[in-house]
Amino acid sequence: MHLIPDVMSFEELEHTADIRVRVKAGSLEDLFSEAARALMVIMYGVADPGILRRHVEVEGRDIISLMHAFLSEVLFVSEVDDLVVSGAEVRLSGTGLEGDLFGEPFSREKHLSGMEVKGISFSGLSIASGNHTYTLEVTFDV
Amino acid sequence: MLQGITRTGPFEWEVPIGYVGGMRVPGRFFLSDQLAETLEPGAVQQLANVATMPGIVKNSLAMPDIHWGYGFPIGGVAAFGMDEGVISPGGVGFDINCGVRILSTPLTVKDLSKKHELIEDLFTAVPTGVGAKSTLRLEPKELSGMLTSGARWAVEHGYGIEEDIRHCEEQGAMANADPSAVSQKARLRGMPQSGTLGAGNHFLELQVVREIYDLEAARAFGISAGQVCIMIHCGSRGLGHQVCTDHLKILEGATKKYGMNLPDRQLACAPLSSPEGRAYFGAMAASANYAWANRQVIMHMVRGVFARMFSIGHEEMHLIYDVAHNVAKFEEHQIDGRRRKVCVHRKGATRAFGPGSPDLPAEYATTGQPVIIPGSMGTASYLLHGTDLAMDRTFGSTCHGAGRVMSRTKAKKQLSGHEVKEALAREGILIRAHHNGAIADEAPDVYKPSDEVVRVVHEAGISRRVARFVPLGVIKG
Repeated sequence: MHLIPDVMSFEELEHTADIRVRVKAGSLEDLFSEAARALMVIMYGVADPGILRRHVEVEGRDIISLMHAFLSEVLFVSEVDDLVVSGAEVRLSGTGLEGDLFGEPFSREKHLSGMEVKGISFSGLSIASGNHTYTLEVTFDV
Repeated sequence: MLQGITRTGPFEWEVPIGYVGGMRVPGRFFLSDQLAETLEPGAVQQLANVATMPGIVKNSLAMPDIHWGYGFPIGGVAAFGMDEGVISPGGVGFDINCGVRILSTPLTVKDLSKKHELIEDLFTAVPTGVGAKSTLRLEPKELSGMLTSGARWAVEHGYGIEEDIRHCEEQGAMANADPSAVSQKARLRGMPQSGTLGAGNHFLELQVVREIYDLEAARAFGISAGQVCIMIHCGSRGLGHQVCTDHLKILEGATKKYGMNLPDRQLACAPLSSPEGRAYFGAMAASANYAWANRQVIMHMVRGVFARMFSIGHEEMHLIYDVAHNVAKFEEHQIDGRRRKVCVHRKGATRAFGPGSPDLPAEYATTGQPVIIPGSMGTASYLLHGTDLAMDRTFGSTCHGAGRVMSRTKAKKQLSGHEVKEALAREGILIRAHHNGAIADEAPDVYKPSDEVVRVVHEAGISRRVARFVPLGVIKG
């Protein structure tokens, strides 16, 4: 089982029409992992660790578009492979990323209490760092 | 009202050039004093941001259901010139051709003694919720057919009747759709989801005509007081969402390539004449066609349930009309005294063409286009018609719904899905969903009152009320 360090967390922020979340992590790599988990918890209500793994590779033009591309890929993989992602182990190189998503299979008994996310918005997508913490704010269109 | 905005009419407000830097035209929105109380500064900022985009014509517009979205505000309408203008996925949204259709039945409320059973049968027949898979088994070739031919593909495959096609905006298929611009990823998402309702604010609602305002138009639309109707609200599912995501990435690069400076990355766009702009248009049109086919297939499932339960024929249940809420289209409009072809973006807004407009079937030529405005769960919905004034003021556009006022986080904290369900049941409205959280999230209290939004478009004259519908039962996506 993959343990999620205490420093990683996310919270929902106020947004009238969509879902806006703030994600925190101790490293940039963990920020990507926790952002993936946040997306899945919003979509499925729960995202527990599991035995499934799926390799992903994405490119961006900068860190913002890399995060956008990564979360869009998580959304795609989750829907097409019926995978509820609970975290990711990723390696960053410049504006590229590769690594594994892991989680459990989607189940209509367990995973129906969330909201369907249609896409990851660029509007207000921000990544900040300070005090050994990376903070992401992102809006999911639901 | 927010500082810097001027009132220009009883229901009209102007956002002057200079409200944000780089505005090329003024912003204009339609709102009553009551609705102005919940106007978000972020939504006005987004309206002003749209006014900075190259080639925008006349005004950046918003309808009275305006609220804070991403890129364009929800309720946003903007037209761009063919030579100097741009196209942007931020002006369409992720759910391309999210839209709504309404069909009539020969039944009245007294025929619905088994309403509970009817709702259960509809819930079983139409796949709903997160992760729902279609009962259709599509081959890749058939998906291409949907992308090219939309509602016609569905009718030709046995899902509906010829009349349905005439009663869809664009006859249920946009020309110049380019399936080759739809990625393999989008196709993979679209294959198992055609004929599924989806989740979120998507729904299927059993309604009754409660009030008629315009008898002549109601007669043309084929409805009368007490009649049972069904409303279907859904879009292009994962296929359209993926098309938006894919092309957003391409257009982000294009924005830089063509030297455009935009205040919001979600407004990423490309000149209409550029390869990137043309590819997005082709993929978006194909997604819109998929959505029309999708609503057509779902309507066929609904007709099947009614046919079995009430022994009525499919042809006795008429599609009144089907409209798109999220789309960009090439249209001709009278601008500054001359006819001009423009690309009209409607994001959370409905086309509302006036009498005599092309694209309307002969039976609606004198009334104007039917406009369908769904209420929030448990509240009234409306049928209106388009007007000449809308052609003149809003590029033939009006509102699309009620518009949210309460965040989803607040809704979850303040409202219990179970209680909302019980309260609606006391009013005779049955709700069926996979889980109660979905009910709290779409409760009547989280939206602006649909009556007030519709009153504004009616009084402002950008569409006129024909009939009011109240819900009897709701299948929540």
